[in-house]
Amino acid sequence: MNTVFESNFSWWLDGSIVGLYLIGVIFAGLWMRRFVSKVDDFLVAGREMKLYLGIASLAATEFGIVTCMYTAQNGYLYGFAGATPGILMALAMLVVGLTGFCIKPLRDAGVVTLPELFQQQFGPRIRCAAGVVIVMGGLLTTGVFLRLGGEFLVGAAGLAEGRLEITMTFLLLIVLVYTILGGMLSVLVTDFIQFVVMSVGLLLVTVLILIRIGWSELVQTVQAHHGSGGFNPFVHEGLGWSYVIFFSLIALSGVLTWQPIVQRVLSAKDTSTGRRVYSATSFFFVCRFVIPGIWGIAALALLPELNGNDTIHAMPKFLAVFVPIGVIGILIAAMLAADMSTNSSYILSWTSVIYNDIIAPFRKGRSSESQGILWNRLIVAVIGLFMLFFGLWYEFKTDIVDYLGIASTVYLSSMSTLLIAACYWPRANDWGAAGALGVGVVIPVTYLILEQTPETSEWVIRNIGPRYSGIATYALAALAMVIGSLMKPSVRVPVAPITLDDAGAR
Amino acid sequence: MSVYFWLILTLACLVWYTAVTIIVAVRGVADIREMMARLGARDSDSVE
Repeated sequence: MNTVFESNFSWWLDGSIVGLYLIGVIFAGLWMRRFVSKVDDFLVAGREMKLYLGIASLAATEFGIVTCMYTAQNGYLYGFAGATPGILMALAMLVVGLTGFCIKPLRDAGVVTLPELFQQQFGPRIRCAAGVVIVMGGLLTTGVFLRLGGEFLVGAAGLAEGRLEITMTFLLLIVLVYTILGGMLSVLVTDFIQFVVMSVGLLLVTVLILIRIGWSELVQTVQAHHGSGGFNPFVHEGLGWSYVIFFSLIALSGVLTWQPIVQRVLSAKDTSTGRRVYSATSFFFVCRFVIPGIWGIAALALLPELNGNDTIHAMPKFLAVFVPIGVIGILIAAMLAADMSTNSSYILSWTSVIYNDIIAPFRKGRSSESQGILWNRLIVAVIGLFMLFFGLWYEFKTDIVDYLGIASTVYLSSMSTLLIAACYWPRANDWGAAGALGVGVVIPVTYLILEQTPETSEWVIRNIGPRYSGIATYALAALAMVIGSLMKPSVRVPVAPITLDDAGAR
Repeated sequence: MSVYFWLILTLACLVWYTAVTIIVAVRGVADIREMMARLGARDSDSVE
């Protein structure tokens, strides 16, 4: 993003609002450091998280600037129908929360990460391999958050060109300070503050849009640009059944296995609390798409000329000139809140997996609690540096949604297969798990390579497309689990022959 | 008909989100206090 947008941002008034918010968050984050004395405190808040704190933390984590930007982009590109993934995610989370599907056995197992559960059924090698896949997919996804968050803030606050790197570094440093020192305890408390600030900002701007632009204008805009498809995803030529099925799979697998979400279950006081957090938070995911979607539609009403990859910037461009002075300070603080809560939670999630599942096999003997905490702090710092340099260096060849879709399918397709099998199919074994992991990586990566290669790009996009590729990955990963597990001979424990004495007794 | 669906959903989002923000803000403070009290008590017990 090279354009400097005009903005209503006032450094005196709005800057003060943002500054006060940042000071409050840093103080709260550092305050929690005093309670960190064990690795469990650092990674899962000592399993002391209760219901309302859990709801705030989950909602804040799963609503970052990147989410806001691509959900608003969905509103711009597809109208109200663009909120379909949010509805699917809410349904998935509600059903999982009410039934306890997978999350009950997961929490009952008392593990810190998913790979730790997989070891119980599939062995230590699968645990390590799963850890690597999770971290790969996780870092590829998280690696772009800082960059996009910086772009949003530079645009919305009207900063000069070239401020992106400084903005990114500044954001990262604040997050790293309290995450390194206080771990999950700091993340929970700062998430809570960030949830409140973020919610106030979101609601304020949405009400402003409905008052100043109006519902009728929004509906007419969608009708004019998208026709009936703007209200019905099955009718929209850019969406359809493949879109609904693909995002249903992403929704269910994400709810079950996306580490930052699942970590709330693992941090809950008990299984019942974990399930209630899921059920109670589920409708939030509808809001997560509908509210920024309204912003995207409003941007379409005022800025209809954007197309291609530029549509991702429609929302910040629109907000910079639509939101009045004073309110824009609250909005920027809200978006900072959204971004910081997501970054801190995601960094901690990948740290858990690296420490618990990748490094663990190489640690000779048990580390002391203080050594364990030090290791985790170092990993947090390294991940932070990765985010900074990856975000500065990586150039997007596809749009953000496609990139995130591919990165997440690498992770979600195999992890959900392994989790369901580990929880409910005793016959599942390491052969099946290895097959599912392999398929889950090979298919989406192959698709990405073919899409990028000039000789095959047009053919693969026209004849397959990212959604059918994604659906096939889920289906084939499950098939690989079944076939691989059945192919491995089951181990039969030899039974000692029964011998009888002369009297016929054993 | 679908316009009414999205209108109802949008209003539901605004009402639900506002209500949850208020409830979570109030009760979340209590959760944080309790969590800090339990962690503090646990650390005192381990020192003893």
